[in-house]
Amino acid sequence: MRRLSDMFYESAANYPDKKAIWCDGKTNTYQELSELVSRYSNLLLHNGVQYRDHIGIPMTNSIKSVALIFAAANLGVALVPINPTLPVSAIKTAFKAGDVKHLIARKAFYEECEKSGGIDMDGICICLDDECPGTIPFSDIQKESVERPIIGRVTGDETLILTMTSGSTGLPKPIDLTQKNKYLRAMAHIRMYNITKDDSVLAATPLYHSLAERLVIMPLIIGGTSVLLPRFTPHIWLNCVKEQNVTFTIAVSSQLAQIVDLLSSPFVPEIDSLKCIVSSSALLEPYVRKELINKLHCNFHEMYGTSETSTVTDINFKEAINKQKSVGRCFPEVEIRILRDNGEIADTDEIGEIVCKSTLVCNGYYGLPDAFNNAMADGYFKTGDMGYLDEDGYLYFSGRKKELIITGGINVYPNDVEKCVLEIPEVSECAVFAYPDERLSEVVALAVEIKQGKTLRKRMVQVQCARNLADFQQPHKIFFVDKLPKNSMGKIMKTKLMEYVRLQCENA
Amino acid sequence: MAKVEEFILKYIQKNYTVSEDTNVYTLNYIEQGYIDSLGLVKFIIELEDEFGFEFSDDELNSPSIKIVGELIKLVERKIA
Repeated sequence: MRRLSDMFYESAANYPDKKAIWCDGKTNTYQELSELVSRYSNLLLHNGVQYRDHIGIPMTNSIKSVALIFAAANLGVALVPINPTLPVSAIKTAFKAGDVKHLIARKAFYEECEKSGGIDMDGICICLDDECPGTIPFSDIQKESVERPIIGRVTGDETLILTMTSGSTGLPKPIDLTQKNKYLRAMAHIRMYNITKDDSVLAATPLYHSLAERLVIMPLIIGGTSVLLPRFTPHIWLNCVKEQNVTFTIAVSSQLAQIVDLLSSPFVPEIDSLKCIVSSSALLEPYVRKELINKLHCNFHEMYGTSETSTVTDINFKEAINKQKSVGRCFPEVEIRILRDNGEIADTDEIGEIVCKSTLVCNGYYGLPDAFNNAMADGYFKTGDMGYLDEDGYLYFSGRKKELIITGGINVYPNDVEKCVLEIPEVSECAVFAYPDERLSEVVALAVEIKQGKTLRKRMVQVQCARNLADFQQPHKIFFVDKLPKNSMGKIMKTKLMEYVRLQCENA
Repeated sequence: MAKVEEFILKYIQKNYTVSEDTNVYTLNYIEQGYIDSLGLVKFIIELEDEFGFEFSDDELNSPSIKIVGELIKLVERKIA
């Protein structure tokens, strides 16, 4: 394989004056971005960051963040990017799980940490936007050389990104993505969607997720242009596509549903630059897909995948008109099987668990080899999703085996929310489940059973969640129930919850 | 009262600084994505919790709650 930083610097040498990246009104040419990457690498090196160290960062979408990804690749160090809206306590837990030694953050984050007893780092702390006691100001980067430091021992097998995910136990599971993983994933998508140096590729999801990281890496290693949306709203997305002449993007389906709403407005700019849009994360409603194709005049694909495996299947609707409900066929790098509960391979059209073998699968769960082994069966990764294959090899998604809510493209593990709500003394039991939502596909809903003789206001539950959970984990619907529905073994029947609250609760 | 303004401006700019050429008081922080629809619930509750009041349903449904300057005025009125 080739090292990501070598490929990026090669693009910079070939196209120094070309626009490399746009974000939030700022543009960097390849020359400027490569100088930023070199200065960033030197800043880290000169302050004691060493090969294979781990750097934690509550990551926002910015040119600095993209430069950091390539600086990390250049030095052979790992980043642990984290959702900045997570409560400080959850970030500390995640950093511990990811063996974070150094920290890069905004001043607001350091101040937040101070309120809860500070944050201990064995290494350095860099403050991105201001001066902050005990930290190195990012502005020190100006003193650094624009010469690229070369670390000879970087092979590409080093961890580049640890993506945090949660799980049924509530403890973080850091998904280990090496440079090689990132390289292979970027190249697989470049080939699949014929991306060239003439493309402008839009990343409109948060950079602490694998999808946006891939979308910025793809153009920058082949001399194309990366367009990075600082924050998503349908207005910002459409204006950005128009003004930056975006040609390709992969969006999460909930974003596309919001964009379609806006496309019916008479004040929307005419978009003619897009060649292809790919929808990911959840199946699109057919009318959304049709509207997008009609109004954006481009090729339209949907994909299916997981954080651990990257993309598994893809479908181009122009070429597969009779397979409208499918999530497509395998990427060339991937083989899929459908397994019955007893581990046998299911027949064609028979629903079972989707498992896949792929050269794009992550390197494992960092520090948790057993958990990763448990997720594998005979060399195939068990996705926790259910589906079936038809006679032509098209995959159909039919639900999730694991307990997971995907809201606006972000994974929420019910257990994390339930644990937080159970800390309220008046709560006897609670259950978190997915509630359908037009804009976000689904939102977090909570059913609460109150202890006998106690009273509890909805507001107390909201305050507890606001204080202890991230933005995306907040329950949008809260239902108080007399008794949660349980099976004969006493287990809460989550699949029945939606139906149950509809019958029992007025506001459902 | 300056505390309300400080809290709201700080919260909105936790992750992204509003550029100097933007009038922050007329900014629609939802439309401009400084807080997204997933974050709004948390923002409102934290605001109520910090200053010890509750928004009415009408206030929550009013479009002006999404404008920074209008929100500051509303909170200041409620805690006066």
